[in-house]
Amino acid sequence: MDDRDDGGSRAVRISSEEVERFCDFLYRRTGLSLSEGKRYFIDRRLEERIAATGSPSFRAYFSLLRADADHEIEFLINSFTVNETYFYREDHQLRCMTSNLLGTIVRQRPSGSTIRIWSIPCSTGEEPYSIALWLMENWPQVDNHNIEIVGSDIDTRALTAAANGIYGDRALMRLSRVIVDRYFKPIADGRHEIDEGLRNSIEFTRANVIDPKDMARYRDFDLIFCRNVLIYFDDASRRQAAENLYDCLRPGGYICLGHSESMSRISPLFSVCRFPDAIVYQKPEADHG
Amino acid sequence: MVEVDAAAKARILVVDDSSLVRLYYRSTLERAGFEVEQSINGIEAMERVLSQPIDLVIVDINMPRMDGLTFLRALRCGPSDISSLPALVVSTESEMRDIAEARASGANFYLVKPVAEAELVRHVCVLTGVSL
Amino acid sequence: MPLIRGRRGSVAPGATPPPVLDDPDPESRWAAARALAGQADAVPELAAALRHETVPRVREAILTSLMRIGGSASAEAIVPCLRSEDAGLRAAAIEALQALPSAIAPMMAQLFSDPETDVRLLATELARNMKASDATRLLCDLIEHEPHPNVCAAAIEVLAEVGTPEALPVLERCSVRFALTPFLPFAISMAIARISGAEG
Repeated sequence: MDDRDDGGSRAVRISSEEVERFCDFLYRRTGLSLSEGKRYFIDRRLEERIAATGSPSFRAYFSLLRADADHEIEFLINSFTVNETYFYREDHQLRCMTSNLLGTIVRQRPSGSTIRIWSIPCSTGEEPYSIALWLMENWPQVDNHNIEIVGSDIDTRALTAAANGIYGDRALMRLSRVIVDRYFKPIADGRHEIDEGLRNSIEFTRANVIDPKDMARYRDFDLIFCRNVLIYFDDASRRQAAENLYDCLRPGGYICLGHSESMSRISPLFSVCRFPDAIVYQKPEADHG
Repeated sequence: MVEVDAAAKARILVVDDSSLVRLYYRSTLERAGFEVEQSINGIEAMERVLSQPIDLVIVDINMPRMDGLTFLRALRCGPSDISSLPALVVSTESEMRDIAEARASGANFYLVKPVAEAELVRHVCVLTGVSL
Repeated sequence: MPLIRGRRGSVAPGATPPPVLDDPDPESRWAAARALAGQADAVPELAAALRHETVPRVREAILTSLMRIGGSASAEAIVPCLRSEDAGLRAAAIEALQALPSAIAPMMAQLFSDPETDVRLLATELARNMKASDATRLLCDLIEHEPHPNVCAAAIEVLAEVGTPEALPVLERCSVRFALTPFLPFAISMAIARISGAEG
């Protein structure tokens, strides 16, 4: 099981069967599907985690993983997915929002009433600001409606940063020059501050998606972006979060998950909806129970 | 081993929460010339049939979060490009009432586990219109 | 600008009459089930509601609340659902029980000797979240005495993930018993490969 390479450091060899066992586990728990052609990539990441946890063998590591000791699942998922936040991340969902979802939402709502969109977790604000920017740039009817965008997170430091709205080049990398010039102003250290009007139009609040008491304060949302957080939770917490989110949505409201996430690993409460740009999930319209 | 027309390459979606069952069906059907996708429950299966062309679903009944019969009923009420998908239910349940319920939910055919490779291939060929 | 700052991004929960578990309106039962999460003295009430609840969403909420309460009383309330004719309820019950490993551990032997094939089959899933040595022991005991190939197959599936080398002789014996049964030889050889699969 253990091996020694030239450098004298211990490296754990992982067999094909062990990789299969691992991949089946990961697929079942998270929905992440690792293709066989990426053996080198998988082995490297596994070896890193085995070393990082001080595990003497794959078998020991796998026991640790199954028990999710010290939040190993979170570290593991992070090593297999890209988890950076930036403006216009997964913009196909934003496109779906303006091309399809808002049309339905507007029809369902009493005319003149406010469209409510929630970004949770919002982290340092890139997601709720992206929603706002995208709406202004891509929704022809944007001036005909009142839209309320809320950004929530469990991390108050992230929320403070979000309210400040100051970003470096990396966060803005997917934005065109035109949009950066239009909505941001350059400040010290090569960073940019988002327009004050936008900063003032997003409400940032602290909320924990698993906590029913927190979540009970949020109701009547038309669209929720809950991306790249549920994948880290255990089954019981995912269920709790799904039930909480369900109650925060209007009937017929939509929820978007992260690109590696699926309700198949979370909850049957929502229907699967296919649109040209994305698969999203919907709270049933009529009460079928 | 039965071989099929090489040009056929019908796409089969295997829906079962058991990784070994999925592997068994996949290796059997790939050897027989089919392309195989997999899903772990009815919700993932719905996402797959909505996202990519599938010619036949093979569905287990007992799965977490969305069982096979609930999936079938949702399939039959779905958009027109998926609502008529042939569906083969392969389940541990063997009572007449289970088979009747599967048919009522939208199954085209029903096999009781464990299924022999030749039997699986034969049924998949019939349900995809692929010649033996 | 059409973007307006929420006057009510979040709102205090309004004062409404407390929802009840036996209300004719499923919406009210849903809310009642959710409100009882974490209340240990609510188990009998939740258990009673679970016995005759037909709306899947409300059932899910009752099960989630029982999961959150935890403990053997919750587990005992859920176990009877394994006998249901409703596949969805059976699956939901197993999911909920999987979150209660210490409560379910003393029940495993009983579940594995249940007269109903379906109950034994479903119960194999519960071994998945246990320590490898405990799961292996339980599943091996089951396999040695189990006549039904599908129950053995379900046990083998879990062993492929959690099994330790102690399982190998049991699996070998099982493969002899089911040599002519479809799928079992394949499943057993996969499980044996996974369990003994350490290289070097």
